[in-house]
Amino acid sequence: MYSASGQDSSAPFIRSVGRALPPHYASQEQLIAAFRELWAKRHFNLERLEDLHRAVQVGGRYLALPIDAYPALVTFQQRNDAWIREATALSEVVVRQALDDAGLTPADVDHVFFVTVTGIATPSIEARLANRLRFREDFKRTPIFGLGCVAGAAGMARAADYLRAFPTHTALVVSAELCSLTLQREDLSIPNIIASGLFGDGAACAVLRGAQAPGAKGPRVVASRSVFYPDSERIMGWDVVDSGFKVVLSAKVPQLVKDHIQGNVDGFLASQGLKRGDIRHWVAHTGGPKVLESFEEALELDKDALARSWASLREVGNLSSASVLFVLGETLEKVTAKPGEYGLMMAMGPGFCAEMVLLRW
Amino acid sequence: MAELELEVLAEIRRIAADELEWKGVVEPQHDLVRDLQLDSLGLTVLAVGLENRFRIRLSEEDAQGVRTVADLAKLVERRVATTARTPTEVRS
Repeated sequence: MYSASGQDSSAPFIRSVGRALPPHYASQEQLIAAFRELWAKRHFNLERLEDLHRAVQVGGRYLALPIDAYPALVTFQQRNDAWIREATALSEVVVRQALDDAGLTPADVDHVFFVTVTGIATPSIEARLANRLRFREDFKRTPIFGLGCVAGAAGMARAADYLRAFPTHTALVVSAELCSLTLQREDLSIPNIIASGLFGDGAACAVLRGAQAPGAKGPRVVASRSVFYPDSERIMGWDVVDSGFKVVLSAKVPQLVKDHIQGNVDGFLASQGLKRGDIRHWVAHTGGPKVLESFEEALELDKDALARSWASLREVGNLSSASVLFVLGETLEKVTAKPGEYGLMMAMGPGFCAEMVLLRW
Repeated sequence: MAELELEVLAEIRRIAADELEWKGVVEPQHDLVRDLQLDSLGLTVLAVGLENRFRIRLSEEDAQGVRTVADLAKLVERRVATTARTPTEVRS
């Protein structure tokens, strides 16, 4: 369905991206101080652990709860109850913000894709939002759990797929990730200590409209591609234990990026008649410093190509699936893109897998 | 092999099996990276485990020249000896 100018006339539009962080900020040094006593229960060389926390280059995190409220959360139920309450509240903020920015109301919403990996709820969060925001009774719901960091990009891709089938519709991609509420305080393993230094809390909502929806404007989602890496189940994920979600995190993630992302990106872009040099705006999941360096190296990017991802990582940490939507929102608001310029969203997550979403302004 | 070195070897084997999900054997001549397939996270887990067990601190400089399991066991043995001679460094 390409027009004479080479543009896909069925490609949906991204209208706005709302973002919100919880109110309880803690600097990395405050968090290290809070963790020290806990680490000392098992570990001898606390300086090494402090160095691991500093090495992730995160300045601080915005927490769902005040820092002194966390020790009282011992059971999975306590953590998840707090998650449902706070994830619903933060999601409501970002949905209202995104709809306002798009000049729309909850009654305009046809489909909500809700993505998360940090808590579970039935009814899922978008149903709870419906009762607060009054979506229409015929709105469609797709809660997605388990894609982890890739879900921001994957959610955008699935919403765009939907809007190609229903080109007059409006879809929301809502991501709420409260990583602090998954923290297993008694898990003093090194992967958990690294995760506790890297991941933060936040929510985002992208508003997408089909190509035939009234007043459609903004960058279009031209195409997307998912890539699954076989036999990599233990690279990243959760072990679900009695007390909640215990992190699985391998140091092999940066190497996987180095080994695969160039071929993945080049192959995807070639299928659209494009090359890496045609991409003007890179919208990368923040990952961690080694992941961002691997993106830069493998894709031979200029030093400032991922500047917004680096800034987001430093300011708020890795927000799992919400991170790439934060970077997308910054891109929409701060970058003056010319018509015809291309952007590429990309993220990786448990599976292990990658998702690429091609944008055209 | 000295008694302490054997103790360190046993601890390396325990960490590899319990914390690094290593299913194979661990022998002194094994290369940490090539044979035991340890990445940067795995090496950190191993270092932290040995620091905890033997109440020592291992530094980046220490790690220079450590390639095999035997190299690591000897390093830990040296560090234990040095630490024991420095009263302020002794931990109960």
